[in-house]
Order: sequence, then C-alpha cells, then structure tokens
Amino acid sequence: MEPNVEAVQPQFRSGISGTKPGGMGFVFDDIHGLIPGPPETDGTSFTALLELPPPQAVELLVKEDFPAKSMPPPIFPSNIALIDRASMFSVFASADNPPESTNILSVSSSMKTDSVKQEPLESEHHRNSSSPAVSNQSLKSIKRKEREKKVKESSKKSKKLEANEASDGSGEQLPYVHVRARRGQATDSHSLAERARREKINARMKLLQDLVPGCNKSLQISGTAMVLDEIINHVQALQRQVEFLSMRLAAVNPRIDFNLDALLAVESESSIDNSYLGMFPPSIWPEGQLNSSRQQQPWLLDGLHPGRVDDTSNFITQENSLLSYDSPPNSASLHSSQLKMEL
Amino acid sequence: MNIQPPNSSSIKSRFAVKFVQAMKRLSKRRGMGDRYKRYRATRAAARVSLAAAVGPERAWSRAVLRRIKKRRGLIGRTTTNPRRNLRGLVPGGKGMDYCSLLSETAHYITCLQAQVQVMQDMLHLSSP
Repeated sequence: MEPNVEAVQPQFRSGISGTKPGGMGFVFDDIHGLIPGPPETDGTSFTALLELPPPQAVELLVKEDFPAKSMPPPIFPSNIALIDRASMFSVFASADNPPESTNILSVSSSMKTDSVKQEPLESEHHRNSSSPAVSNQSLKSIKRKEREKKVKESSKKSKKLEANEASDGSGEQLPYVHVRARRGQATDSHSLAERARREKINARMKLLQDLVPGCNKSLQISGTAMVLDEIINHVQALQRQVEFLSMRLAAVNPRIDFNLDALLAVESESSIDNSYLGMFPPSIWPEGQLNSSRQQQPWLLDGLHPGRVDDTSNFITQENSLLSYDSPPNSASLHSSQLKMEL
Repeated sequence: MNIQPPNSSSIKSRFAVKFVQAMKRLSKRRGMGDRYKRYRATRAAARVSLAAAVGPERAWSRAVLRRIKKRRGLIGRTTTNPRRNLRGLVPGGKGMDYCSLLSETAHYITCLQAQVQVMQDMLHLSSP
C-alpha cells in the first residue's frame, strides 16, 4: 500500500453538497498511516478565471492539521479499495466549513463504481495566499453549489496527473490563466479553456440581463435565446428612439437656439434624483407628440401607417417609464413585439 | 470585470455638450431647409457625438469614429435595419469575438440610454 501511495500519487476529489459533521474519525486512523508525510501543494491546480474558485468538491483525508485549518490536499492511492474507503469521508476545502469529514452517502455510493476520478486539487498554497479572496470564495461557493451538484452527477473520467501538471503554469494566482477543474469534468487544457470562456460568457450575459428590463423573469443564468432576443429588441428599440428623437429635434432646431446651461443643469438634477425625469415624459409625451408630429415633415408620416405613430408614442411612453424603472417589464416586451409586427 | 461600467452622468454631460455644439453648427449651415437632410444630419450628429463622448476606450465607439474618418457609408446604416443579429446592431460588432461583443453591448446599451435621456431633455427644454 505504501509503495502504491508513493508511486502513483493521484489526487482525488469528489463532490460534496452539504456539510455533515461526521464521526468518521475512527476510520481515519487506518488511512492516516497510508498518507505520505508532506502534502503536495504545488503545481497541479487551477483557479477560476473570473469568479473566484469554488472550493467545492474536495475530498480529503485530513491529517494532523485536521481540526482548525482548511485542508492541505492529501494524496490518495490509486487502490480502489482504499479509495472506496476514502470515499466514505470527505471534507470541504473552503475556509468556512468545518474541517470535519463530511459524507454524502449518495455521492460516495456513486463513487464506489469502478472508475475513479482523479482531478487536480486546488492547493492549500493558493488558498492561503489569497486569504481575502477566501470569504468571497465561500460566498461564491455557496452560490455555485447547485451548479456544481449538477456537474457532479455527470460522468467521471480519470486522467493522469502529469497531463495536468504539464498544462498548468505556475502556482501563483495570475488573474487570467487559471481555471478550476470541477468534479466530473474533463481536465485537459482545451476543455478548461472552454469552460473558462463559457463562464465569462455567462457572467456577461447575466450583466446584460440586469441591464435590459424584462429579462429578469426567467431565472436562468444561461444565455438562452430568449435573453438574446430581449437584448436585441432593447438595442433596436433604443436606436429607434434615438432616431425618432433626432427627427423631432431636427424639426425644432431652426426655431430655437439650444440652451446648453439649462440642459446641463437638468442633467445634474437627474443624477441627483433619478425619478424626477421619469415623472416628466409620460405626462408630456402624448400631447407634445400628437401636436407636433402632425405639423412636422409630412414625408415621414406619409410612409408610416398612422397607427404606427401612436404605437410609437405609447411605446416610447412605456420605454421612458421603463428607463426610470417604474413600469412592469411586461409591457415593454409587449410593446416591442407590437412594433415588431408593425414593421 | 475588465473595464468598468460607464459613468452615466459623465457620458450624459459630455454627449450633451458635443451634441448641442453640433446642432448649432447644423442650424447655421445653409443647405438645410426644412428637409429630410436635416433629419439625417441630426441623426448623424447624434451618433457621432455619442461616440466622441465615449472616446476611444470602447470598441464600438472606435468603430464609429473609424467609419467617420474613412467617410464610408457613414450613417447610411439603414434606419433600423431589420438585422436580428446582435453583431449587426452594435457598431463594430462584426469583427469581435463573442465575449467582447457581449460586454460591448452592455456598454452600448447604457450609452444609448444616456443619449435618449439627454435628447429628451433637449426637447422638453426647447418646446415645453
């Protein structure tokens, strides 16, 4: 057993979704003897690209620094029997979780199948070096648990450790390169890079979702076609609004000289009180539009279905109140779909 | 993440200054009667002023300014071209990878919103 341990030294990692302080201490002593002295802390781990690494699925056998700290990653033998035993206890690697071994019996039972996952662990080294990031990590880890859990049930592959060592760079935390390999996922550099890219894309989609009104209904974070459609609609709507406003301004232009100071005063007001501007438009728009648009360049109105102008005005009213975050988002998509049909 | 989200009020004030200047210049030009040309020129001025207010930081503003310098099909982008594609909507969106396209879109949306607010204020001020 000990020669096995020293020879192969894969690292072993499994998914945990809950913390159960377990009294598994009695089995520890068996395996304690099998673990080589110094844990490996270098080399073979990645840290997540954008978000902080979810210190999720670490299954560790705890050594002497068992009670207090977060764990150094021990090295597991490739012996199946030992791993089965080892699967009976698992420890969270994040700082806020108790270092006690926790066990998810379902996970362990699923792990007792033939294949053994060997995935790179995040080294203790990393976590200690980024201690302010740890608290963030724990928050993000909680947020990511559900996603992780889904991933964990996926198939497991076994990979050689050397490949990971080769593909990894230095052990320090560059802001760019490192990606955590989660449980149940492939660990070659291609899929890691792809996963990083996907995380990036998902993060930005989430940002866009927050930006566009009417996207928060679907609670999915992923880039579904609906979200993209909403984004496209919103951009188109804003561009149309700009055109419409420029048309009106072009009509107003020769008569009145523009007052820059008043404009800037209004802008600074709006920065103080955002709702102020929101109140204005809905009351003024319908009257002003109906009056001036009839007087304006008839060339534009000829080509348009007369109903369209009203729809536009309604739509813009809704848009304005949307922009001041007053009205429910449902109407926006309704009106934009109306406009789409008109077009 | 990479670059900070835009400060809406600063963009608004910068855009307001540039746009008002452009409109004053426009009103002084002779060739503009009460015509279609003025509408197109106003639209062009709005787009250019926004891009100039944002500056060369973002890819989409760089793309707009590039298009001006090359004087190519400047604002001949058909009014609300029926492109159901994000790449066709965001300026400079064709040559970007997807990630940066998404971040550019986010910035572009905030700038468009700022632009709309400023122009609405201009309208309200001029003809209350």
